Amino acid sequence: MLRTEELLLNVGPQHPSTHGVFRIIVKLDGEIIREAIPVMGYLHRGTEKLAENLTYTQIIPYTDRMDYVSAMTNNYVLVNAVERMMNAQIPERAEYLRVLVMELQRIASHLVWWGTYLLDIGAMSPFLYAFRDREMIIDFFNELCGARLTYNYMRVGGVKWDAPDGWLDKIRVFIPYMRSKLEEYDRLVSGNEIFLARIKGVGKYDAATAIAYGLSGANLRCTGVSWDLRKDQPYSIYERFEFDVPVGQNGDCYDRYLIRLEEIEQSLRIIEQVLDQIPEGDTMAKGLRVIRPPEGDIYAPIESPRGEIGCFIMSKGKTEPYRLKFRRPSFVNLQILPKLLVGETMTNLITILGGIDIVVGEVDC
Amino acid sequence: MKGLLQGLGVTLKTMTQKKVTYAYPDVPLTMPDRFRGIQHFEPDKCIVCNMCVKVCPTECISLTGKANPDPEKKGKVIETYDINFEICILCDLCTEVCPTEAVVMTNHFELSTYSRDDLFKDMKWLTDNNTLVRKENNYAFPRGGAKKDV
Amino acid sequence: MLDLVGQPLTWTHTLIFAAYGVLLLLIILGFVTYAIYFERKVIGWMQGRYGPNRTGPFGLLQTVADVFKLLIKEDTIPRKADRPLFILAPVITFIPSFVVVATIPFTANLIHADLNVGLLYYVALSGISTIGMILGGWASNNKYALLGGMRSAAQMISYEVPLVISVIGVIMMTGTLNLHKIVEAQGDNFWNWNFLPQIVGFIVFMIAGVSELNRTPFDLPEAESELVAGYHVEYSGFRFAFFMLAEYVYVFAIASLTTVLFLGGWHAPFALLAFIPGIVWFLLKFSIIVFFFFWIRATMPRIRIDQLMGLGWKVLLPLALLNIFITAIYMGITA
Repeated sequence: MLRTEELLLNVGPQHPSTHGVFRIIVKLDGEIIREAIPVMGYLHRGTEKLAENLTYTQIIPYTDRMDYVSAMTNNYVLVNAVERMMNAQIPERAEYLRVLVMELQRIASHLVWWGTYLLDIGAMSPFLYAFRDREMIIDFFNELCGARLTYNYMRVGGVKWDAPDGWLDKIRVFIPYMRSKLEEYDRLVSGNEIFLARIKGVGKYDAATAIAYGLSGANLRCTGVSWDLRKDQPYSIYERFEFDVPVGQNGDCYDRYLIRLEEIEQSLRIIEQVLDQIPEGDTMAKGLRVIRPPEGDIYAPIESPRGEIGCFIMSKGKTEPYRLKFRRPSFVNLQILPKLLVGETMTNLITILGGIDIVVGEVDC
Repeated sequence: MKGLLQGLGVTLKTMTQKKVTYAYPDVPLTMPDRFRGIQHFEPDKCIVCNMCVKVCPTECISLTGKANPDPEKKGKVIETYDINFEICILCDLCTEVCPTEAVVMTNHFELSTYSRDDLFKDMKWLTDNNTLVRKENNYAFPRGGAKKDV
Repeated sequence: MLDLVGQPLTWTHTLIFAAYGVLLLLIILGFVTYAIYFERKVIGWMQGRYGPNRTGPFGLLQTVADVFKLLIKEDTIPRKADRPLFILAPVITFIPSFVVVATIPFTANLIHADLNVGLLYYVALSGISTIGMILGGWASNNKYALLGGMRSAAQMISYEVPLVISVIGVIMMTGTLNLHKIVEAQGDNFWNWNFLPQIVGFIVFMIAGVSELNRTPFDLPEAESELVAGYHVEYSGFRFAFFMLAEYVYVFAIASLTTVLFLGGWHAPFALLAFIPGIVWFLLKFSIIVFFFFWIRATMPRIRIDQLMGLGWKVLLPLALLNIFITAIYMGITA
């Protein structure tokens, strides 16, 4: 009888496919994983603690840096929580602009996911195609608020900038372009037999497990649970728009892939409606010179591209929060990883980790 | 097989399409007007109200003022004004709260240097940084900002 | 050249052979330099980029600069590595890749070694490179390198089998293992070339060939998103350059071999175009195959190791065997 040993392999924090500085210690038996221990915290910056010494306006730039792939939704989750505490009235145009940038952000974020996921699986070109198209959205944001990633765009009571002249028309031109590119993505990747063989049936779990682990976003919807906060707990003005919530059935990486691509299409639909309905007017509420929410606490969740992102604020009636807590979807979704990895190969580790769609800045916060 | 061939078709088609990259170091990137780059500072406009220092989330601005040398005028004039670009996150809040638009954004973004010392910009440097200054400032935002409750 | 081989070995002849070898090495180095350049250009174009364009006119000196950088780099050997094997591994990988080029006939006259077992020689020697990869992976004392080395062993052995069996049809049709004679047996028109009657063999050969080259979609041994860089993760400087070199020399070799075996070598596609020199036709066919490799790399994702094994043993091998039977039956009927 040959003596065999388990191999302890340290994947990360410096590894091309951990999407930043994330580390998994895996016990390998040949190429089969027997145990996986995720180690997180390499990108921890203490945002929540820092926030206790910052005014609400000052926290907004910090939220940009939490999930740096989707800064607009992070901006919104904070200002939304504060506004709910203060019962602020937001001008119509500001709400429409917020929905517009959040949906553009969702597209940009899913494009980053799509590109990097394919890169994990070994295809190079999709990454550059996705970034080519994401670049257009980034340029829109650059024109709107002067930054490409860390927007610092939303404010308690509205948005910082109104759309510049001709900006909305550019987005109207972008929609058909993006639709044609989506079709190109399908031709390039979605039918590719090698790709399908790699992701079909990989990383499977059922709805009960997903709910037990608190998953949200595409990670939950792939099991057939239709749960999208934009529909189920409408915030902002989402109840005015028509869109579908794509759900899967099998709960594998392939369903997650399809759902995310379909969400791009649904976001485009919302953007179309926003562009048709957007009124003229102010973009900033009057009378919000000093932001001091009343004593109390609130938990306000919204649907970020990665799932349910929530902001819990406990206020003692000062301009700084007494305690601020973000429910970060990347962090919560990641918890299922050790369970999924047992019995999988090294190759599937990358497929599953990529399929969960984490942003390490948000995991570690 | 069909999917593989379709994919090959897409890449072949892209080969003949227009390239999308920028020739960046050769051709300078033109940023839109609202771009948030290194600040420009105008000492004459500054009223030493300390708003920017208070609102800065990373506490990278430091300033000192002195009494107005002209005895007939009240108030203070600026003496030193430094921004530490090691920690500045170009969040735009200082220009947002400035009541006189003494500190404004420019379109310059090239901050890479060989020494950290170069990132500490003083008043003279910021004053001389007077090209490509942003035209639109504080577009939709009411004057004034949150005060700390300390 | 071939006359010299037949004569008794003298010092002069040895010198001539050595000079010839160096010349061929330089040609291959030139090919590798510009194969890497064109690979990056082609993939760049396919991704909406320009590819290298900064060093030299049109970036033509980019690879030269890269290689120069590798050569002047500090030679690092990990302390816990198995030193002799670590040093030996790139050599073992590179030498067979260069030696196999000797048998490839580029035109009717430009032949380096007219071996009557040319094909067998190629296959036998190219298998040795795998040992270098395993040694490199083992000697690095790195777990990623070890996994990469093991994968490369499994992959190379599994795909060597269908690769060899797929060309047996060609050998049966021409009745020789001599690559020169195999080309001569193919006619002056493209419908006389082997790839049409041997279409199954040709496809199997191409797939197994890509796999032998460790190129996408079969680049598992160095799968950078899983194993960081696979078996050569601990190598740097000129030792790494040797691994890279071996990989691209094999691209050269496999593309040449495909041209010779299936695409009629130096023959023109139509008899009336035969006035154009054979070397042009050879280079043209050769370039198309190399371009095809680049094109696949720009498009395909990577296959998984178990699927790779399944494809090799359950699909390619039976197909290659079937091809032999069909060829045999056809030959039996027509004979």
